[in-house]
Amino acid sequence: MSGVRRWLGGAGLRRIVQLAALGLFFGLMLATRRHGDAQPGLLLQFYFLTDPLLLALGWLSAHAVPAALCLSLGTLVVTMLLGRVFCGWFCPLGTLNALAGRFLSYCWPGPKRGDHWSPWQYAKYYLLAGVLLMAACGVHTGAIFDPLVLLYRSTATFLFPAAQWVVEEGTARAGAADWGRWLVREHLAETERQSFFGGSLIGLLFLAILLLNRYRHRFWCRYVCPLGALLGVFALRPFLQRRLDPATCNHCDLCGLKCHGAASAAAGESWKASECFGCLNCTSACRKESLRWTFAVPVLAGIPAKAGTTSVQAPSRSRRRFLRDASRVAGTLAGATAAMAIFRAAPQARGATGNQSLIRPPGALPERNFLARCTACGACMKICPTGCLQPAWDQAGLEGLWTPVVNPRLGRCEYDCTLCGHVCPTGAIARLTVEQKHATKIGIAMLDHSRCIPYAYGRDCGTCVEACPFPEKAIRMVDVEVQINDGKTQSSRWVSQPMVDPDRCTGCGGCVTVCIFRDEPAIHVVSANETRNEAAQPFLDFKQKPAKQDAPAGDAPAGGDPYGS
Amino acid sequence: MCKYTRRDFVVSSAATGLLLLQSQRLAAADPAPAGKPVNMTIARWKGAAQAAATNEGIAKVAGQLAKEAIGGLGGMKRFVKRGDVVWVKPNIGWDRKPEQAGNTNPEVVAAIVKMCFDAGAKTVKVGDNSVNPAVRTYAASGIAEAVKPLGAELVYLDKDRYKQVDIKGERVKLMLLYPDIIDCDLVINVPIVKHHVLSNATMAMKNYMGVMDNRAPFHQDFSACLTDLTRFMKPQLTVLDAVRVLTAHGPTGGRLEDVAVRGTVAAGVDIVALDALGLELLGNPPAATRKAAAILKYAEKAGLGKVDYHALAPKEISVA
Repeated sequence: MSGVRRWLGGAGLRRIVQLAALGLFFGLMLATRRHGDAQPGLLLQFYFLTDPLLLALGWLSAHAVPAALCLSLGTLVVTMLLGRVFCGWFCPLGTLNALAGRFLSYCWPGPKRGDHWSPWQYAKYYLLAGVLLMAACGVHTGAIFDPLVLLYRSTATFLFPAAQWVVEEGTARAGAADWGRWLVREHLAETERQSFFGGSLIGLLFLAILLLNRYRHRFWCRYVCPLGALLGVFALRPFLQRRLDPATCNHCDLCGLKCHGAASAAAGESWKASECFGCLNCTSACRKESLRWTFAVPVLAGIPAKAGTTSVQAPSRSRRRFLRDASRVAGTLAGATAAMAIFRAAPQARGATGNQSLIRPPGALPERNFLARCTACGACMKICPTGCLQPAWDQAGLEGLWTPVVNPRLGRCEYDCTLCGHVCPTGAIARLTVEQKHATKIGIAMLDHSRCIPYAYGRDCGTCVEACPFPEKAIRMVDVEVQINDGKTQSSRWVSQPMVDPDRCTGCGGCVTVCIFRDEPAIHVVSANETRNEAAQPFLDFKQKPAKQDAPAGDAPAGGDPYGS
Repeated sequence: MCKYTRRDFVVSSAATGLLLLQSQRLAAADPAPAGKPVNMTIARWKGAAQAAATNEGIAKVAGQLAKEAIGGLGGMKRFVKRGDVVWVKPNIGWDRKPEQAGNTNPEVVAAIVKMCFDAGAKTVKVGDNSVNPAVRTYAASGIAEAVKPLGAELVYLDKDRYKQVDIKGERVKLMLLYPDIIDCDLVINVPIVKHHVLSNATMAMKNYMGVMDNRAPFHQDFSACLTDLTRFMKPQLTVLDAVRVLTAHGPTGGRLEDVAVRGTVAAGVDIVALDALGLELLGNPPAATRKAAAILKYAEKAGLGKVDYHALAPKEISVA
């Protein structure tokens, strides 16, 4: 077999597939933006739909998952047939880890060693067990460590904004600012300077994960990844198995050096299917052709023999082993319980206190249901055309870390936009029609009379009223005669003061975005009055009044067109 | 019970006004004696009040109205010299569709762009400081689609590029202006006539607020601020789009009930006169246009133009 064909038939093909899958991941993320009036398609969520961990967590915590997510069962079938090829061939975070490990091995080489299986690789299974246990109790937070979710969020809130900054600043310094602007603002990103609160910290966590590859190649995938652990359980006895020919193997350990998953215990040892990513590096590296892949029905083929290890274990060791395993299980239980207690023993989680700045995007389910579904992937933040959707830090408690909240200082929730719900892979944000969106309150505008110019300073302003997107206006002007004093005499002046109509205001934040005070606006959106929270409805509905009394105030004639027709 | 409602009053008083207007128009027959340049034209569509006033019908005639109006002034060559860089400044403020009358009519803008190129303009740029995200707003307004095939440059204003300029105004000194617009050879102001919740009406002078940023302080004193800005902008050509007007709940609008078809495009060099005409075309009763009238009066006092536009003897053009 010629070298090229050999390469293409093994690890080379895998690399091509990996890079293609990584490129598709970023490509679909870039495509996650507004395209005219078309609603985003399911294709944009493709990667999430391959993720059985999201299916399991969502089903456990919310007892409901979008039907499309059941496609991820296909990943389990593939895993049962071929092992963890998802990790080795497809997972974009896995690919980035592999690239980072390779890059670091060039620029920051460590001691060369055969990376063999370590008991620490069990850690991810305990983590998975803890995360599943928490999900079964309704705490969905583990999903923020799903690899696809983690990469999506890190890319949306850190990598892309950073790349946008680099391209724009770089082209500006190179005297080609128009080119950069054309590329980024008109063709790649919809928002000017998309940026996110705490994106840098999310980015630092992501970079730390990449740097860990210096310590152990594919550290995250071997020791931490909960999705990898889930797939590992299904890959205990795959149909595709690696066979070692002990007669030709010279224990050179080239296979161990190249192994991504640290799937063999020692040089020339047989291999743990649950840790193997199917990267084909071992078979490509072997000079003796001692390794080959075969298909076998797992039950008939039996458990792969542990060649070279001691066959009989002393009773005392087995007792010690039982104690070890039992204490680990107990530790997992205790850890998961402690984590849940930390999340839930907070006043917010008990519903005792609200948080006025916990403003969820329109269509978000009631808070508890929302948290049982939201993975904090950031797809909604990526597609939000005004950049008002931001990752939460403390607004929703620890349990709601990085989940989306609306920050109207950065942008309004656009009047006709329903994009966030249509890209949500888990249904935490419902898919609204535009009509439903207009009727969905995410909060209410609240004036600060001590700052608002007409109230506090006796002058006209009304920027908030001008920007209110509702055709009938949810903020209206009331003419009031105010007393002013110019230092010598007191006189009166007529001033138009804004007043919010709680029946109409949906809390979109258009008023906040344009408020003249840039430091601290004179009008806020608070989460009271949000449709999804039946317990927080401070206002009676006055819309039921007879139409005549409901005629909109103001100086414009209501209906009637004196000039034409 | 009183049968004479407010609506009846408004309709009847407007009808009276209409009659008066007609008589004035008849009196001002042949308004442009030979040799004197026409400084204002009003192109009116006969079909405005008829069944032809469908969205398709309006789209067909809007561009022609603009063409006739500018043609009446002596054509675009009067304003555009060969090789000029022209900025066409429509109102593209809101994420609204043409039939909602939130933005300038796209066909009017397209006709102006085409006339600029025909007159020899090197570059024609179209852009506004939108309130909603620009990409969405330009698309929704129909202007993006209308002007791109003509070769115009659609400019999405960049928040980082506004420059502090000393406009030496009476009320406003420093202002954040968009340099590309200020540096153009000609800015053609193409406003739409709309109701405005704060200033009662928004037309040509207020449309200049789209060349600047940090504009919220203007609301404290529209008259002086708009006068300062207009004086600085030195208006040369203004094309007033009253094909559709937004009669209430402006400047955002959104309800089709608030939109009225006037089928009118006016053009001229006197921005105050055009705004006065626009206020009339808006058709709201005087009590509801006090603030806008006050702004015009203030601008007239500052020498920016004439409120009594009839004094300019506007040329009436009828379009079938």
